[in-house]
Parts: sequence; C-alpha cells; structure tokens
Amino acid sequence: MQQILSLQAAEGMVLAKDVNTPDGRILCGKGTTLTASMIDRIIKMEVGYVTVEGHPVQVEGEKSLEQELADIEKRFSRVKHVPPLMYIKKKIMQRTVAGRKGA
Amino acid sequence: MDTKQADFRKALREVKNLPTLPGIISKLTRMAEDPDTTTEQMGKVISKDHILAAKLLKLVNSAFYGFPQKISSLNSAIILLGFNVIKSLIISSSIFELMESQDMELWEHSLGCAVVCSVLAKRLEVSDPEEVSTAGLIHDIGKVAIKMELRRECEALGQLVREKEISMLAAERELLGLDHAEVGGWLAKSWNLPPKLVESIACHHNPTDAKDEKLTAAIIHFSDILIRGLGYGHGDDVWVPPLSKSAWEMLNLSAQDIDEIIEQVEEKLWDVKGFSLEIQSELERSVTS
Repeated sequence: MQQILSLQAAEGMVLAKDVNTPDGRILCGKGTTLTASMIDRIIKMEVGYVTVEGHPVQVEGEKSLEQELADIEKRFSRVKHVPPLMYIKKKIMQRTVAGRKGA
Repeated sequence: MDTKQADFRKALREVKNLPTLPGIISKLTRMAEDPDTTTEQMGKVISKDHILAAKLLKLVNSAFYGFPQKISSLNSAIILLGFNVIKSLIISSSIFELMESQDMELWEHSLGCAVVCSVLAKRLEVSDPEEVSTAGLIHDIGKVAIKMELRRECEALGQLVREKEISMLAAERELLGLDHAEVGGWLAKSWNLPPKLVESIACHHNPTDAKDEKLTAAIIHFSDILIRGLGYGHGDDVWVPPLSKSAWEMLNLSAQDIDEIIEQVEEKLWDVKGFSLEIQSELERSVTS
C-alpha cells in the first residue's frame, strides 16, 4: 500500500482505501480500479492524497526494500532477548515486504 | 550532585526559552474551577484566539482521537474531550509550534506515539482514552525543553549518541545527570497538567516508577517502543528501547492483539502523515506570505 498525491494517480491503479471528499462522503470505495474520469473527479474535489495497492510510484531518495529491512534489523538489534519485541519485529518485516508487492 | 548538574536543573526548571503559556490557560483554569461555568462560556474564551481555536479543532479532528464524525465546534470539542484534555492541547499546541518548525522528526514521533496510545487505550477500555492519547502526544516535551534551554549541551548530546552509539536517554543521564522524562514531568507539573499526564510523562521509560497511573504509564511506555519499531524514532538514537517486563504483563496483549494493533496503527498513520504534511505546507505558506 502506498499513499500518493492525487496528481500522481494513474489509470489502472487500485485503491487500497476509500477516497473521501473533504466533507467526509465516500467518493470511490476501496478496491476500485481508477479510471481517467475518476482521477479527474478526485482532483476536482480537492482530495490531496489517495492510497493505492502495491507501490506504483517511485519516490526520489526512497529506500529500497533491502535497506528498509536492514533498518528494521538495526532498530531491533538491542532487544533480541525480548520475545514480544521479536514478534513485533517479525510482523513489521512481513508487512514491509507485503507492502512492496506489486511494485 | 556537582554544580554543573545543579545548573542544568535550575535552567530546566525555569525554562525561560519556551513560549510563555498563553494567558488564556490561567483564565480557563479559573473558569474550570468554578462550578457555574458553562461549556459555552469556555468555548467563547477560546474562540477569541482564532489561531488557537483553529489549531485545537484541527488536533481534535486528527487521526489520533479517531472520532467518527468531524467535530466542527469548540463547544462539542470541550464536551467530548473534557477540560483536562483541552488544556493540555492548548499547552501542547504552543510547544508544537516549536517542534514543527525545528524538529519535524520529533513531532512525527510524538504524533505517531499518540496514535498508538489511542489504539491501545480504546482496546484496553480505559476510562479516558483522550487523556492517554494526549499524554502520548506530549511524552517527549522534556526533549523540547532541553533543546531550547541547553543548546550547547544539546549538540554534545547528539555527538555522544553518535560516537558511543548509546540511546539519547543514556547520553542525557551521562552528560546532564538527568533525563528528558524527568524534565517533562517537572514541566507538566509546573503547568498544572492532570496527575495522569505528569506521572506518565515522567515515567515513560521506567513505568514501574509510576505510583497512581501505572496503566497509563505502561501504555505510553509500550506505545513509544512500538512507534520506534515502526521507524518513527528520533535522531541518531534509532534503537528500540528496552521493554519493561511488568508493563508488558500489565497490558496483557496476545499475539493476535499485536497483529490487530499494528494494522490499526498503520492505517491511522497514513492520516497522520497527511496531517503533518498539511501543517508543514501551512507553515511554509505562513513564512512566504
């Protein structure tokens, strides 16, 4: 899942979260495949960000998956003897990998 | 205690460089003590300060309180959140002005911690989840005070963290003979914040030291750890801090709880990211205009 500027949205991307208008109404639901007219509407309604499946937009300076996993490893390197924290680490790693799928 | 440490203590207890608390706080405190004061009267006092009122509503509507509907009036915010939270928010909004402009990372860590606190407080069904989120939001105010009051030492602290690869907490204790949790506790107390906030801020690294607010302290302690684990840390001290065994036992979370908590937190963090970007662009606009 990736949060992108509405201006970066492109046809064929799949919404990972509902898109709401600023006053809280749902504009397009989660799971919708974006079309050009939907993107137009989203931008016209002044919705700044949308959340899409996978990781379609490459951001300059963004870390690679390997780098992100290495960072997680480092963050947890001093609590290796604490089982609950190791469980949390495993979960965060799994989610990081899953979040990049479809990139 | 050597004289140098005594000097640090003195400087931090007097905190001259932090923004003075808006006069509105003492006025509101007086009003709150009077049983005849109505919500409308309090709302009126706050709304005289347009910027403050707008900021309050923005915080109230941000992801970490998670109210299903948009709260558009100060009166409903006061009713929903209670006076203690409103007061803490007024104080934190003046502190955060500093944080936003000087230390975006600490601001995001604090927002993230508040998000985890809110998720945990609701799951554990504590009686006042908003107060717990607010405690999470301001748990590191001691860091802001140290940065403002002891600028020179602050550089040395950063250096110590990098060279010795120790936590900021350890560096503070080594160099200053005190730490940001302790300082945060004094500040919260001097601002007459509710005991729940004072104690949980002061004890967020050692939740077993909490006397009356053990559960709140445990929630803040764990939230700080989880949000660091998710990569919302602060500065060169990147390591996930040690987990207090008794705090963990008190929270009594199962593997499934953890799974759901991480999921909910990540979901809400998206909104917070939008929130802090929004604040940033507003700041930029206010600088250029």
